Amino acid sequence: MLTGFTGLALTLVFSFALVIALILLLSKTPGRTIWYFFAGAFTNAYYLGNMLNSAVPLVFTGLAIAVAFKSSVFNLGGEGQVYAGGLAATAVCLALPAANAYLGGFAAMAGAVVVSGILAGLSGFFKMKWNADEMISSFLLSSAIILVVNFFITGPLDDPNNNLLATLPIGKQYALTKIFPPSKLNVSAFFAIATAVLVSFFMARTHAGYEMRMCGLNREFSRYGGISVSKYFVLPMAMGGALNGLAGGLLVLGTYGASIKGFSAGMGWNGIAVALIARNSPLGVIPAALLFAYLEAGAKAAMLHSDVTFEIAAIAQSFIFYFVTAQSLYSLARRRKKP
Amino acid sequence: MSSNSPFAIPLIHNAVGIMTPFLLAAIGGLYTELAGMLNIALEGLILTGAFFSIVFAAATGSLLLGILLGILCSMALALLFGAITLYLRANVFITGLATNLFASGFTVVLAFQLFKTKGVIQFPDIPRLPVFSVPAALQRIPVIGDILFGHNIIVYATWLIVLVSAIVIYRTPFGLRLRGTGLSGETIVSLGLDPRRYQLAGILISGLTCGLAGAFLTMQLAAFVPEISSGRGWIALVAIYLGNKTPWGIVVASFVFGLAESFSNYAQGIVNVPADFILALPYLITVAAMIVYAIWRHYRASRT
Repeated sequence: MLTGFTGLALTLVFSFALVIALILLLSKTPGRTIWYFFAGAFTNAYYLGNMLNSAVPLVFTGLAIAVAFKSSVFNLGGEGQVYAGGLAATAVCLALPAANAYLGGFAAMAGAVVVSGILAGLSGFFKMKWNADEMISSFLLSSAIILVVNFFITGPLDDPNNNLLATLPIGKQYALTKIFPPSKLNVSAFFAIATAVLVSFFMARTHAGYEMRMCGLNREFSRYGGISVSKYFVLPMAMGGALNGLAGGLLVLGTYGASIKGFSAGMGWNGIAVALIARNSPLGVIPAALLFAYLEAGAKAAMLHSDVTFEIAAIAQSFIFYFVTAQSLYSLARRRKKP
Repeated sequence: MSSNSPFAIPLIHNAVGIMTPFLLAAIGGLYTELAGMLNIALEGLILTGAFFSIVFAAATGSLLLGILLGILCSMALALLFGAITLYLRANVFITGLATNLFASGFTVVLAFQLFKTKGVIQFPDIPRLPVFSVPAALQRIPVIGDILFGHNIIVYATWLIVLVSAIVIYRTPFGLRLRGTGLSGETIVSLGLDPRRYQLAGILISGLTCGLAGAFLTMQLAAFVPEISSGRGWIALVAIYLGNKTPWGIVVASFVFGLAESFSNYAQGIVNVPADFILALPYLITVAAMIVYAIWRHYRASRT
């Protein structure tokens, strides 16, 4: 365990050194840029809260991927699933403009879960039924659904009083309670933690979770052992879709109060990275999501207070991706431990 | 148009142009796939080639030099991707994502640094990609003449690459060992060879073809648009699977996608359907084609 941490520390040191080198190369005020990149997220409560808030959807998308990967099923449709979930939640809220906040909010979440769960579950179904590659079909369906969602956001549900490409705002009663004003951090952070714990419990302690993990380890062996393996193509996909849908729905209720064109872009991809950094451990997804959010918050602060563009966050993240699973770095750390 | 079917001919003619970047990326990705590696970095490699080829073409004033340097940059990124994956033993999925992320971040950061904009960068002085000229007699052949001729040289270079690839993959020792690496790495080791060399070669070849695919995109527009690759690398990956991991299968799969996109371009001007739905059509057609193919394979397998 300790060596794992040493390896991770080595990865981070390596990646951060590269980021510093990049900033020295690009920025005219490198000292200022480096300060804001690494410490910017902690300079005031607003930045800190927003950083924590931006980790929330990543916990859900990370869990979605972790569940699928643990079962050796690949879900590449996160982007569309988050976006469709957000739209479904918005549509339910708009259809129930004056409902009770809890009932209406619950219905919105249910809508997001069902729509995205079916969207992802379809790919699992195609795999189960005809052995059509779920990785490819989930990606294609997601790419198509993104365009359909764009149509609804800029077409039938568009807010004519707003020149943003966004839907009408949802009822005020649906807004999730803010817990760290003035930042956007809201109670969905608690949902994220609770969901991670639940998923962890499900995978480790329930019968279905056990069978899913067995299928992930070796499907042929599981079939031989009497597990009905074909349903474990559909379940992990649908569960992942549902979690992605929740990410989108909670973004609408907690952060944006409407669906905005492209509001969830990148979250599906980043979920894959978060899950892989967490090595598919449901609880590990939380720190991995925080690491991710920290880098983006740092880049945002550096952009506002210095002369670099936000996209250096993408470069910093890519450095971490490159090295985080590098076995050789970890064994290097291990070899150092033993004299 | 010399044909009496004015609808289908330009549709197919355009499809042949549109399929080119998909086909290029997929044929390069095929080498990696056959060497047993999932290459999801195609997207980032295309983007890198797109950016650097036009920037270098503008800087040097030479189309050829621009394309070559663009390909070189794309191959350099492929080398980084391959070296980290193979020699630091990292997860190929996440390093692939890293490559895509790096490419999209790096091109924007560099564009901002060089051109002070994060939007579209136009290069009006770039020479046009030359159209491959054929004798007028060939041009006049009905149907075939209209479909096959009048494209720019990258289209024909692509066909040549596909042809050469089919030979390299199936008829040379290199191709045999590359495929052997994917089927059984241990066998390659037992022959005293290093499978990682073949995997790295596969990745570098994908860098080469993706670089050319990227050059095709920007040179055609005479502009660089952020995220100009817009999912083409992913579609190329789809084409590899749909094409059953063979060069000719990939040609068919790329053509299906090219035709779907050509059709949706055409339909946009004619049918009164929201543009977003039409843009979604190529993906839906591809997923439908994929499922029909899977069903067909499924029932054929269950009959024997």
